[in-house]
Amino acid sequence: MNAHQPNHPWSRLTHAARQVSDDRVVAAPFGFATRLAARAMAQEQQVVSLLERFAFRALGTACGLALLSVAVNYSVLTTAPFSAEEELNQDDPVAVLLDT
Amino acid sequence: MPDDDPPFDLVGCLDRVRQRDQTAARELVDHLYPLVIRIVRSHLPRRVAEEDLSQEIFLKMFTRLAQYQGAVPFSHWVSRIAVTTCIDHLRAQKRRPEFRWADLSETEAEVLDNVLTNENDVPANDAMAAHELVHKLFDQLKPDDQLVIRMLDLEQKTIAEISAITGWNPSLIKVRAFRARRKLQKLFQELQRTERK
Repeated sequence: MNAHQPNHPWSRLTHAARQVSDDRVVAAPFGFATRLAARAMAQEQQVVSLLERFAFRALGTACGLALLSVAVNYSVLTTAPFSAEEELNQDDPVAVLLDT
Repeated sequence: MPDDDPPFDLVGCLDRVRQRDQTAARELVDHLYPLVIRIVRSHLPRRVAEEDLSQEIFLKMFTRLAQYQGAVPFSHWVSRIAVTTCIDHLRAQKRRPEFRWADLSETEAEVLDNVLTNENDVPANDAMAAHELVHKLFDQLKPDDQLVIRMLDLEQKTIAEISAITGWNPSLIKVRAFRARRKLQKLFQELQRTERK
């Protein structure tokens, strides 16, 4: 016998159980929605401000690192590099052979 | 008496909630409370207050509101949050180790004895005892199976309705229903073997 057959004990039990109606009120208790809305909005704001704070901190750190890297490599940046032609010639074995 | 209340503007309300309008948030809670509380009451784990659970569901809803893309009706989306939250609480509580005659009240034991030994319907005045008994039997099932069989057999929802509420596909729901019924079948066989004391 299967539990979904009508004469199965389970079917007869659930059939009887369905006769019990739930008459409880389904409206929100007084103040519930106001309290919850305030809490939800505050929570959301907290998350946003946390994100903002971290984002600004990350931006500040990134700017600092960029300035630091410019300062550290300043001397390299200011010295005149090889001209583009010289640089090409140095890496090109054919140009080296022709020069000699 | 005709209902003069204008229909609830859900889309407008959601837009205002996204702009952090507290009044709109309150209206949304008031609008959805009946839906959420019905789910909570149907699947309320022992020792958890229904107000605490519904509050948790609404807070989750507000936190995840940005993720709602409108692919399913909003009420289904909220139902899924409610169902998942209830299942999480059911999982967190330990299942009762076994179902025993000794744990039943006198009326519950009588009702169970009647359905096991004869094929008569349960008398109407024993409906409450049958209701309690069914809930005690639900406690013996895994939370997911319990939820499916409760919706199918007690709330008489269709597979499609359960799928819409839970987000599970119909095959999974059928598997869970099958598993729950097999477990119930075993329970009844066990109860028939053991004598009522």
